[in-house]
Amino acid sequence: MRRAALIGGVAVVTLVIPLILPAGQLATYVLLGLAAIVTVGLSLLMGYAGQVSLGQASLYAIGGYTAGLMSVHGLPSLLGLLAAPVVAAAIAALVGVSLLRLRGHYLAFATLALQLILLSVLSQGDWAGGAIGLQGIPRLSVAGVELADDLSYAYLTWAALALTLLVSYNVIHSRAGRGLRALATSETAAAASGVPVGRYRLAVFALSAAFAGLAGGVYAFFVGYLAPGSFPVLLSIEYVVMAVVGGLGTISGPVVGATAIVLLVRALTEFGTQPGMPSYAPSVLSYAVYALLLVLAMLFLPRGLVPAAREAARELAERRGRKAPT
Amino acid sequence: MADQLIVVDDLVVRYGTATALDGVSLTVGAGELVTLIGPNGAGKSTLVNTLSGIVAPAAGTITVRGRLAHVPEGREVFPDLTVDDNLRLGGWRNGRRGRDTSRIYEILPGLVRVRKQRAGLLSGGQQQMVAVGRALMARPDVLMIDELSLGLAPIVVTELVAHLRELNAEHGLAVLLIEQNARLALGLCSRAYVLEAGRVVLEGPADEVAASPRVAAAYLGGGVSAP
Amino acid sequence: MTDLVAYVLTGLGIGAGFALVGSGIVMIYRVTRVVNFAQGAFAVLAAMTASTLLAANLPHGVAEILAVAVAAGTGLLVGAVAIGKPGTTPGASLIITLGLGVFAYAVEVLVWGDQPRSFPGVPGAIDIGDSRVPAHYLLIIGVTVPVFVALAVFFARTDLGKALSACASNRYAARVVGISVTRMGLLSFAFGGALGGLAGVLVTPVQQVTFDTDVTLIVNGFAAAILGGLTRPAVTLAGGLLLGVGQTMIAGYIGGAYQTEVTLLLMLSVMIVQAARRSTLQEESA
Repeated sequence: MRRAALIGGVAVVTLVIPLILPAGQLATYVLLGLAAIVTVGLSLLMGYAGQVSLGQASLYAIGGYTAGLMSVHGLPSLLGLLAAPVVAAAIAALVGVSLLRLRGHYLAFATLALQLILLSVLSQGDWAGGAIGLQGIPRLSVAGVELADDLSYAYLTWAALALTLLVSYNVIHSRAGRGLRALATSETAAAASGVPVGRYRLAVFALSAAFAGLAGGVYAFFVGYLAPGSFPVLLSIEYVVMAVVGGLGTISGPVVGATAIVLLVRALTEFGTQPGMPSYAPSVLSYAVYALLLVLAMLFLPRGLVPAAREAARELAERRGRKAPT
Repeated sequence: MADQLIVVDDLVVRYGTATALDGVSLTVGAGELVTLIGPNGAGKSTLVNTLSGIVAPAAGTITVRGRLAHVPEGREVFPDLTVDDNLRLGGWRNGRRGRDTSRIYEILPGLVRVRKQRAGLLSGGQQQMVAVGRALMARPDVLMIDELSLGLAPIVVTELVAHLRELNAEHGLAVLLIEQNARLALGLCSRAYVLEAGRVVLEGPADEVAASPRVAAAYLGGGVSAP
Repeated sequence: MTDLVAYVLTGLGIGAGFALVGSGIVMIYRVTRVVNFAQGAFAVLAAMTASTLLAANLPHGVAEILAVAVAAGTGLLVGAVAIGKPGTTPGASLIITLGLGVFAYAVEVLVWGDQPRSFPGVPGAIDIGDSRVPAHYLLIIGVTVPVFVALAVFFARTDLGKALSACASNRYAARVVGISVTRMGLLSFAFGGALGGLAGVLVTPVQQVTFDTDVTLIVNGFAAAILGGLTRPAVTLAGGLLLGVGQTMIAGYIGGAYQTEVTLLLMLSVMIVQAARRSTLQEESA
């Protein structure tokens, strides 16, 4: 019961925030939400299926370009938004059939290689606008109503994140979810217990791609233009940092991680753009921070903030319980 | 007791929440042939790894006087290196000058023929000889052997046992033999400990241990005395 | 015909750089089972350091050697963070090296700015028929070959080299025999740093290095390592050279915009084929 109250509280607070934020900060809210969506999928992949992806931003890009291209060519924007996760998942499934035979570091490297290939294809393809990118993506319209201001995108993002979390929750608590958890610990044991290992890995990969694709679709309509430069390898690493710092294999972890990282980087960007700092200071500082956080998290908080916080809360409760008269 | 090379007193070792050794005490004296027998999972390898310094104890004391060399279960040779290199690395702790292997080839002449071969390609018996030879490089006072006979043909084991007897008789090498094959162990050694579920349940001279009804029933096939 | 010779020589020069990066990765992986994603950073750091030292009028040769030493020291630091804490799994170490690689990138920009840098190498060129091969490529080959020979001798004939191989061959047995596996791991990281640094220092005069890291060098270095299954230095060397020659030939005869992509696809195919041959059990026990 207490958890439902907590969730309700968080929901209300996050719904109210866009109304009180100054207009300039709404973009941060949207981007944070989108990052959280991608990270939820990544956390599922890393935490439950035990696979590292260093190329999740490529699926984000695929979603964005799908929605963008469809709209630019005159198709209804809602269709584009719906197609984004589907196309991303389909491509992931197609690639995954061969790719998911790889394990551990080979898979990590393969996902990185795929992103590099995708970026190269996008940069050199005129159909995608080349290096300059896809311009003039129209605003999203739902049933004739156009989403024109940042506030509506904030709520769209909120809805997409809520949907993602809901799906995630259902997957984890289903029978398939248990099989997934078995996968993360030991594939041989899972296979011996009858878990269809190959199919599950593929399914989780596709699902995480769908989440990233959805986020990419929203991004395309929000920003109005896409370029390969918006989806660098560093972005994929950011998602990994968010997932790790927040806590793999938890539902709230990705959101906590994304929030912590985005806010921290925002603060640093402010610091870095002050007069006297060189022009590249903001990016350098954010890279340094991502890196430091990742290293520190892997060394000292390998399970992430959320599990660590839960542990601390449990210990506190135990101590209080012991002191209370029986 | 100045001639006790190994003194283990009330040793407790845990892996997480599971207790592998629960208050184990044993001794090995200079020149003695001692065996530790018991079923799978009794904690024998844990004891060996703790004595070797690979695992840290939770409680109790270990006193080792003199040098202790460890022949691991399953041989654990360096498969990609030659026999000669395997032996040389046995002398790693001796420092740069202590890596001469000629002494080992005198003790174990069967290795001379294969000295340039990669250890991974040898037979089980030859690998066991490499593992023993590697341990002997450290000029130990006590040789700790974990499952000498595992997976080896009886004739090969007989040859290895002969080598051990020779080393013991001529060089005063003490041996702590961890074995599942109780008949073999009790035949070679003079003193025995029986380890079950992390505890020593029986100890004493080997022939007495062999004659005890419990051991005879559980480990020797019922009532047949050791050769 | 003379074109071919020129392409091959140039290709071998670039390929030597790839092979050096790749062998650094292989050395570290064999001993520690960690894939070092920071390998590229060593090359860039060494190149940047060398350019600074040369600009400060240090003589050629001294500057480069110092730069390689800096890279080796950095390798040691990376190793200390990645494997120094007991209980760090190889997977966690991989992610840590990734983080450290990004951190190194930040440090590079902070210290050297974001403009591309280079420094002059061996001047002049050699005429082969009517093609010119910049003499520097011959220097690269001329340095790399003895380095690889020295490494082979080191591993085959010195006790320290054998101890490193022992850690790669059977970690448990290495500990039984008294070899400090952690110390060997750190040594392998230092070596990896030196090899990566050497690659950076040798290649920069013919290919500018930026804070972006030279993507070609790193991608191909990884590809070479993967061709060698992350464990076989000889195959890595051959693979690196082959990749180098392949790239120059494609660029020379066909025209090269897609070289990196081709390498990546090749690498992916190799990995998938290798994986199809291996069983799951083997992977899990690794």
